[in-house]
Amino acid sequence: MREFRIEQESRGNIQLIHLQGSLDMYSFPRLESQLQTLFQQGRYYVMLDCSQLDYIGSAGLGALIGFAKQARDHDGDLKLLRVPERIYKIIELLGFTKVLQVYTTEEIARASFQKP
Amino acid sequence: MGHESNIDIKKSTGRLFVRAPVHGKSLHHIRTVITDLARQVGFPEDEVAKIEMAVDEACSNIVEHAYNADRNWTWKHPDPEIRLAIHTEADRLIIQIADNGKRFDFSAYRPGNIVDRIRAMRSGGYGIAIMRQFMDEVEYKSDDQNGNTLRLVKCLKKS
Repeated sequence: MREFRIEQESRGNIQLIHLQGSLDMYSFPRLESQLQTLFQQGRYYVMLDCSQLDYIGSAGLGALIGFAKQARDHDGDLKLLRVPERIYKIIELLGFTKVLQVYTTEEIARASFQKP
Repeated sequence: MGHESNIDIKKSTGRLFVRAPVHGKSLHHIRTVITDLARQVGFPEDEVAKIEMAVDEACSNIVEHAYNADRNWTWKHPDPEIRLAIHTEADRLIIQIADNGKRFDFSAYRPGNIVDRIRAMRSGGYGIAIMRQFMDEVEYKSDDQNGNTLRLVKCLKKS
């Protein structure tokens, strides 16, 4: 069992947030608080590095959609990076990849932001 | 608070019984028990992930709604818990999840199509639809004596 951890770093105008452990209804408020702070600061370009993520539940996925919508309303976006295959299969099957953009490398994700 | 240390796991007559406090900290431990068991039964990893998510959605609903929605309900249960009873029958994994929280008319609830909700960028309301999509049977019953019981069934042959 890995404890849920969040680490944040800046890549120019883009905020890269590394997630580790399980993102469920118990741990999600910590990420929610961090994203709210970023948006209050006007930082709407966000990448979530999911490579160390073990699990994500619907509370987390639904909220990520909400944050992506908020970011897009401000010409930004929230994108997922390096999603483990086990999690990707689930979110693709459910249809979340229809609105959440997922990238395999940081370079491609960074390039996808219109105004990095 | 050490809620995780309060999780009780027992095996008896071919069934696994899990009792956990109604707290978000319990969710990870419940998922670990379920995924370990599903792998032992022989489900492929893609199906293990679906079972894990369905059970997590059920237990998250209990934590979020069953005991918190009504203060008058909470006082009757000063030490609320989630109770799981898991067993196999032929090629079926049967997971029963029980609580004594607020009753919810599960069978009548129709949250609509998941993809439509996603396209509309709705931030919630996915849990029950996910359970129905990922499990072969989802059945809810509630009575005053036994509380609320959600029965989730996954068939190995369909996997």
